[in-house]
Amino acid sequence: MSPTRSDNLGPALVCLALLCGGGVAAWLLIEPALSVVAGQGYDTRRMVLYYSTLPRLVTALLAGAALAMSGALFQHILRNPLADSTTLGVSAGANLALVVVSLFVPGLFGAGRDVVALAGSAAAAAIVIGLGARRGFSPYSLVLSGLVLSLWCGGLAAILIYLNQRYLASLFIWGAGSLAQQSWTIPLSLAWKMTIVAMVCALVMRPLSLLDLGEAGSAALGVRLARLRVIVIACAVTLAAIVTSAVGVIGFIGLVAPTLARLSGARRPVQLIFWSPLIGAALLFFADSVLQLSAGGLGSFLPTGAVTAIFGSPLLLALLPRLKVRHRIQQAELPRRSRRRSASAPLIIAVMSVLGLVTVSLFVGRGPGGWAVLSGEFFDDILALRAPKVFAALASGAMLGVAGSILQRLTGNEMASPEVLGISAGATFGVAIALFAIAPGFPGEFAFAAGGAISVLAIILLGSRRSNFAPERVLLAGIALSAMVDAVVGVLSSTGDPRAALLMRWMSGSTYLVNGTIAMSEVALGAALIAIALAARHWLDILPLGPAPSAAVGIPLAGSRLALFGLAGLMTAAATLTVGPLSFVGLMGPHFARELGLTRALPQMIGAALIGGGLMTAADFLGRTIAAPYQIPAGLVSALIGAPCLMLLLGKKR
Amino acid sequence: MTSEQLAQNAAETTKIFEIDRIGLSIDGNAILSDVSLEFPAGEVVALVGHNGSGKSSLLKILARQLTPTSGTAAYGGRDLKQYQGRDFARSVAYLPQDLNTGSDMTIRELVGCGRYPWHGALGRFSEIDKQKVEAAIAATHIETFAERVVGTLSGGERQRAWIAMLIAQDAHCLLLDEPTAALDIAHQVEVLSLVRRLAHEGGRSVVIVLHDINMAARFCDRIHALKGGRVVASGMPGEILVPATLHAIYGIDMDVISVPTLSHPLAYAC
Repeated sequence: MSPTRSDNLGPALVCLALLCGGGVAAWLLIEPALSVVAGQGYDTRRMVLYYSTLPRLVTALLAGAALAMSGALFQHILRNPLADSTTLGVSAGANLALVVVSLFVPGLFGAGRDVVALAGSAAAAAIVIGLGARRGFSPYSLVLSGLVLSLWCGGLAAILIYLNQRYLASLFIWGAGSLAQQSWTIPLSLAWKMTIVAMVCALVMRPLSLLDLGEAGSAALGVRLARLRVIVIACAVTLAAIVTSAVGVIGFIGLVAPTLARLSGARRPVQLIFWSPLIGAALLFFADSVLQLSAGGLGSFLPTGAVTAIFGSPLLLALLPRLKVRHRIQQAELPRRSRRRSASAPLIIAVMSVLGLVTVSLFVGRGPGGWAVLSGEFFDDILALRAPKVFAALASGAMLGVAGSILQRLTGNEMASPEVLGISAGATFGVAIALFAIAPGFPGEFAFAAGGAISVLAIILLGSRRSNFAPERVLLAGIALSAMVDAVVGVLSSTGDPRAALLMRWMSGSTYLVNGTIAMSEVALGAALIAIALAARHWLDILPLGPAPSAAVGIPLAGSRLALFGLAGLMTAAATLTVGPLSFVGLMGPHFARELGLTRALPQMIGAALIGGGLMTAADFLGRTIAAPYQIPAGLVSALIGAPCLMLLLGKKR
Repeated sequence: MTSEQLAQNAAETTKIFEIDRIGLSIDGNAILSDVSLEFPAGEVVALVGHNGSGKSSLLKILARQLTPTSGTAAYGGRDLKQYQGRDFARSVAYLPQDLNTGSDMTIRELVGCGRYPWHGALGRFSEIDKQKVEAAIAATHIETFAERVVGTLSGGERQRAWIAMLIAQDAHCLLLDEPTAALDIAHQVEVLSLVRRLAHEGGRSVVIVLHDINMAARFCDRIHALKGGRVVASGMPGEILVPATLHAIYGIDMDVISVPTLSHPLAYAC
């Protein structure tokens, strides 16, 4: 158990550097309070120091360690460098459980917040890992279901908060991961719970370090894999749950800390699991001290979780090219899909369904008197209000579907989509800049959104060119970018700026503000861009074969990739403007199309466009009617309907 | 002359490829140095050598997948740089070593990809394209599994499917990078017989990278041997399969025995 010295030097240095940085910041925070001569009786500054500042710093250290430990355990046991409590949906599950319980059965908190959080994360972990087990723990499908579940829980929590704003405003700030403390209760309870889990982990360290030999190899040495998995995953879930219940969702520490440990030289499992918590603790301590120092009086309101993502994601992006994926990922078996002879039957059904949906959406509504078919004196007026929203939703969904299809074919990765790759997040970022810098109309917003989307694509393109678009790199980059944008928006909205509220509403994907002109522009853009994409069908058929064969038949590699990525970026930008960045239609459209047996580029794109458009129209209709007179944003609804369907599909495949 | 005419004329010359003092270095490492070789038209030419000898890189240069750092490479008497992507692809087809095995396409669709140089990005998949695809499938005897998905095929079937795609490309020249690497002996013979038949009956020229010197001797008309990025031997199989030359190529003691039923001797390591 004595790791060689050189392997430990790097992680120790990283740890020390972070601790020093955090220490200096923390000293600057504490120093004013200490320099005052101890007053008699009621000394406010000293009380703040003892009961708020110090507990907060200790909580940061403990939460950081727990999250990093949880991430390291997940990554090791699942043999997946992308796993952590955020990407597996475990934190989001705990968050949703806490939101639901506090809204509907607050009495349950009597049993303890931890129990509620633990139930939520355990359910999330069971769903994600259960689905993963059916596909042999293929790392991508695991992270895909994790992200989808995360999004679903996040979406549902957002709707609940949206509909019950008065009661849950503080829950929202907490949900973004706030470390603010008023006493020593939380750090102390965290400390003893973590000690128990750490002891359990120490017991399984030996068999855990054999896991690198592969499943067959470690089983041959007598490791009981099933039992080991259950124990380790239970530990990791518990760590994530107690942190979430104590301080909310703090993303990224679990992903960044083990990555840092690995990059700085930790090699063996024991080293990784030893150094990751230390680095995680130092990292969160550093982030939180710097945040408190720089934000001044606002510090206690700024959610640290958001800030760690702002720090963490660029770091991850910068380190990405140096990351050697040591965990050898076994190639997933190609599912033997039954192929239909013709693509026309599914396409005809899709066209009919979309037409039906649009008709229903246009003419059926829910008024004060219940459900009603549109007729009578207000026919024209109401139609004029409804039609733009319906058609904008249709066009946006179709564009997202085609963009997803293009990206999946280009990266050779079934999980690629504008949402997963962070392209939607880039568009959001562009719009945020547009909203805060100037306040342009539709063309200006489109330009900014397109700029954002295309810069994200460029970053992905440059960052993963050397690795030939290795899926894990592209995905990590996308996750990092999305998290960063979420974080920036989170920070903006906690500043209380009224434009942030506008941004929030826009992000939830509301078609409420769509008028005739915007709808016309969307439809025109959609038609033009989709037509271009369909024209590029030969490229999209051949490029998935790989760069060498594609170049060998005479496709200009750089040119075609650039054009197609650019096209996907434009489509994402245009669609994101009306339905927000979180709809997941870009992932669902191509997936459903493929499930229907549409595997070639042309039918698949048409199918993805129809399915995407149909989903978005249906989501818009449901969002408008289901909770009338409230309108639930179409983007959220589509994520809520689509995500479970997608998870079901993922589970069904052998 | 346009690039397209160049490509058509190339088929009529006697030397299909000529390379002159080619050098290639990647990140400062010399992969190939001072390689000069000729590839006669209508012949199956093997490139042999130990691992890392530069044979695959040389093939990639011929396929225009890599650009040499020095020297010139000519196809049909004209420098490779004068050709354009699709025109070159109509004349020269290349089979890379690492093929994407997890494709969702059926065999017929894969073979159809070979028609890209002819119909281009925006063109229709015409009746002629369809006929060429069917002919390629027939020539490689893969009709029985033409509707199956590429990922579900065995290694030998998959190689034949990819070669069918090259045939559908209608090229005069095939460049094959270790097409038999992952195959058992029966499938190696099957694929190499197919390649030889395509060259000698179809009037195509073939450049093929092979590991196995005996297979190269049996199925190829000419062998170029590389070692450490330089040419160490070049000639007919009978001239290469002598102990001294084999030692120069592989760096170990080798001997040959004559087999009554084969036209060439058999090499083995001592």
